[in-house]
Amino acid sequence: MKRRKLVAVGFVALAALVFAIAAGGVSGANKAKSITIWLQTDAQAANWAPIVAAANAQFQKDTGATANVQYQSWGTHLQKFDATLAGGNTPDVIEMGNTEMTKYMAAGAFQDLTADKGTFDNSSTWLAGLAASGRYNGHLYGVPYYAGSRVVTYRTDLFKKAGIKVPTSLAQFTTDGQALLKKFGKKGFSPVYIAGTDWYFAMSFVFDYGGSIASRVSGKWKGALDTKKSIAGLTAYKNFFNAVSRASKTTDEAHPNPYDVYAQGLAGSIVGPAWYSCCVGKQYTAVTGQFTVPSHVKGQVMPGFLGGSDLAVPVGANKSLGEAWIRAYTSNASEKALEGIGNIPNTTSLFDNSKINERAAARSWFVPTAKNWVNVENENILRNMLAEILTNKLTVKQAAQAASDNIASILNAS
Amino acid sequence: MISAAARRRRSGRQAAWNVLGIAVLVVMVFPVYWMVSTAFKPDNEINSSTPTWFPTDATLSHFREAIAGVDHPFFWNAVENTLIIVGITVALSMVLAFLAAVALAKYRFTGRKLFVVLMIGIQMLPQTGLVIPLYVVLRNYGLTKNEYVLFGVILTYMTFVLPFSVWTLRGFLLGIPRDLEEAAMVDGSSRLGAFVRILLPLVAPGLVATSVFAFVTSWNEYIFANVLLLDQSKQTVTVWLSYFTGTSRHTDWGALMAASTVIAVPVMLFFLLVQRKMRFGLTAGAVKG
Amino acid sequence: MTSFPAEPSITAEPGVSRARRRLTWARVGRASVPYLLILPVLAAVGTILGYPLYNLVTLSFQRYGLFELIQHSGHWIGTSNYGSILHDSVFWHTLLRTVIFTIANVGLTMVLGTAMALLLVQVSAWLRVALTVGLVLVWSVPAVVAVQIWYWMTNFQNGVLNYVLGAGEHDWYATTFSQLSIVTALIVWAAIPFVTITVYAGLAQVPAELVDAASIDGAGSVRIFRDVTFPILKPILLILTSLSIIWDFGVFTQPYLLIGKEHLNSSNYLMGVYVYIKGYAEADFGRGAAISILMLLIVAILSVFYVRKMVRMEAVE
Repeated sequence: MKRRKLVAVGFVALAALVFAIAAGGVSGANKAKSITIWLQTDAQAANWAPIVAAANAQFQKDTGATANVQYQSWGTHLQKFDATLAGGNTPDVIEMGNTEMTKYMAAGAFQDLTADKGTFDNSSTWLAGLAASGRYNGHLYGVPYYAGSRVVTYRTDLFKKAGIKVPTSLAQFTTDGQALLKKFGKKGFSPVYIAGTDWYFAMSFVFDYGGSIASRVSGKWKGALDTKKSIAGLTAYKNFFNAVSRASKTTDEAHPNPYDVYAQGLAGSIVGPAWYSCCVGKQYTAVTGQFTVPSHVKGQVMPGFLGGSDLAVPVGANKSLGEAWIRAYTSNASEKALEGIGNIPNTTSLFDNSKINERAAARSWFVPTAKNWVNVENENILRNMLAEILTNKLTVKQAAQAASDNIASILNAS
Repeated sequence: MISAAARRRRSGRQAAWNVLGIAVLVVMVFPVYWMVSTAFKPDNEINSSTPTWFPTDATLSHFREAIAGVDHPFFWNAVENTLIIVGITVALSMVLAFLAAVALAKYRFTGRKLFVVLMIGIQMLPQTGLVIPLYVVLRNYGLTKNEYVLFGVILTYMTFVLPFSVWTLRGFLLGIPRDLEEAAMVDGSSRLGAFVRILLPLVAPGLVATSVFAFVTSWNEYIFANVLLLDQSKQTVTVWLSYFTGTSRHTDWGALMAASTVIAVPVMLFFLLVQRKMRFGLTAGAVKG
Repeated sequence: MTSFPAEPSITAEPGVSRARRRLTWARVGRASVPYLLILPVLAAVGTILGYPLYNLVTLSFQRYGLFELIQHSGHWIGTSNYGSILHDSVFWHTLLRTVIFTIANVGLTMVLGTAMALLLVQVSAWLRVALTVGLVLVWSVPAVVAVQIWYWMTNFQNGVLNYVLGAGEHDWYATTFSQLSIVTALIVWAAIPFVTITVYAGLAQVPAELVDAASIDGAGSVRIFRDVTFPILKPILLILTSLSIIWDFGVFTQPYLLIGKEHLNSSNYLMGVYVYIKGYAEADFGRGAAISILMLLIVAILSVFYVRKMVRMEAVE
């Protein structure tokens, strides 16, 4: 009958389509053993990709297996990781930002690599600040991969015209900034472009004055932004910002990116990762230099936020092959190559004093290693505090007090 | 007879409406114009504080970088994957939704109201909460393996496209006069056969309209595609696009705008192709429903 | 409705029993047709959404964080998740903010979309085509791309908006009201094409004779719109308004990307963003599920008017 024929045709068409897709999608099923690596897209860049390729080749030589590298986006890789943790098919190696590690280590997302620590190159001279992010409860879960520090990228021609030299103290940096403002202060020009809510930079002041964000006292977290020293640091930041930055007081360091501002000729200098010199605009590359952020104490480097990544092996993954790949990618040769393209390698044994980012890493600070720290970042507690301070909505003391209490309650939440 | 004065008044009125229309057109289309023109501007114009209204120094370098650059691999894979996913989703959804809409519009059966409520209820679900359980479900069905993952995504998209499609097609069908079906039935054909033979051509514009909505929804979808398509070679264009701003390093605005322009082209073409039909389709269904 | 031949009475002779049996099977076959027709849709939706829905409901009564996710098992805590959410002032502020936001967005979308449809009727034919093509161009830009363009246009460093308004370096993302206004502008801009084209099609249905008759009677254009046009447009406007409510209440992509995760905090959350951050970014999946269920209930209440009309349309047949 016509009706039944129609319905039958419909279902057959459906089935045919299903098979068509399935058949069309089957690739060469006969594969040798293969592992999946999740690296961030930073490693996909033209100057970085060869290092990854070399590691893959080394890995294949060592184990006979192939490495399938899938590049990830910073904004979405954790959501994807959560899905694979729930449903299976976790990658065999995953790159994690150093601030992302603690939460996942505490939840048991990674395999314990402590026993094999000695098999990784330079493990005895790993950069302390970075290596700490891969340890939890005395066990090793993440192998340090690379680090980044913050330096000042500046216009040598503008400095020359204003008759100023590289400053060696914060006070000198401030007067230098004001000299630049006097000479070049047109609309939108910042002697030192700092985004108002750039907490990575602002907290450097806090640590420079001897304060901190939070500390662990008998098992419980206590906020430390409301201590005298922290408040002194925050006040110094406020004064510095008001003196030398014309950026919006509520904007962050991603909107816009400081090097975009620099490329427009609207910044005498910017503070940020050392690799900024790549992206400051064709017309200014020749007149760009860098120096370390000076402390309020003359001659010292202000402690800088040590960014970076670790490599971990998730649960459910192939541990021996995963470790083998990490071994190849963090080998001495590989780390040396990473250093060559502007990163800080994971070992002090490769440190070269001529490299400014490594000099800057001599004094560094890190976020509290609490499993809930990521929530403090997600709720933008520090950014809001800085915005309130800079817009004078609250006094430094009030804003710091509120933030401190907030941070403590979040860190102590179970 | 219209006097010369009245004619002048009328054309004056017309001119006024046209001026307003042009102003509205300029304002609405401006962001799209900005996207396309930025794709052609050299870097210094993009960054400058004074906007360049028309790219006289047009360059194709951003397009080259976006599509063929080392930093942005898998563009053609993404296009292919998206076309497969969207094409099959729309085709299958139209067939299934049409059948279900016929049932809702032309038959009385118990559970009819419940089914309608279900179709509406699904549209109210907040999608964020469904992402991880959906991944788990598809993995249990084996649909996250590279060979079958596109089919997994197609099934997922269908579950969000079907409710709206069933709903809309039902509206179109309700608007078609009964006598046409009755006439066909007198010939002795079965009821369903009559429906399909008579209704299909009448509801074709409605099908086109609904397929356009289905196309947009699937094309723009990002949340599920991002999590379900783990392998870069299987990703869709919206996920591919997200990599432009996903790095902690340099964001190439020119390349991003070029990429966005290229991605919008197939959609615009599809629309321009069907837009005339669509106006008829929406007429037939929406009012009478 | 076509009726089948009357069923032979029960007291008929045995001679007609075979005919009766054939009729009964035929009836069952015919009665099963609608169910067979909706079966594929139910199957497709059920196999994909069945488990996730069940999962969402059961998770909302459990304590389920990242640790539990990895272990694949959680702890039953009854209504604690719901309790803590309903006691959280951030939830209520966000809900209020989202309701106001939804009203503003839906109102602007419907008013501007309808107005533009009316404009389409009035302009010359060539401009009508140009406008339709323009609207279609706007409609075809994916949300992620639209956000990038709008951010680019409104950024305080070199955004076109500041330049055109002569506003110097005004930061449009400095206050909550300003942020949500830009997000509203973006969402309304992207939603207008759909509304305009649909309403315009509906306007084409208004019988010219009725309009002429009314204007001969001396009615002004406003009266004509109110008495002739609007009643015919009502069903479309109803459908569009309700869809807009559902979509705008749970919107996530535009506020999350345009305001940026660096700028999002408890003073500018919308429900879509709130459920993402509190439930998923912070990896408290039990709480995320509870918020999702609450959102579903709230949006159902907000659109119950439409749901009832939909279901009633069935019965009118």
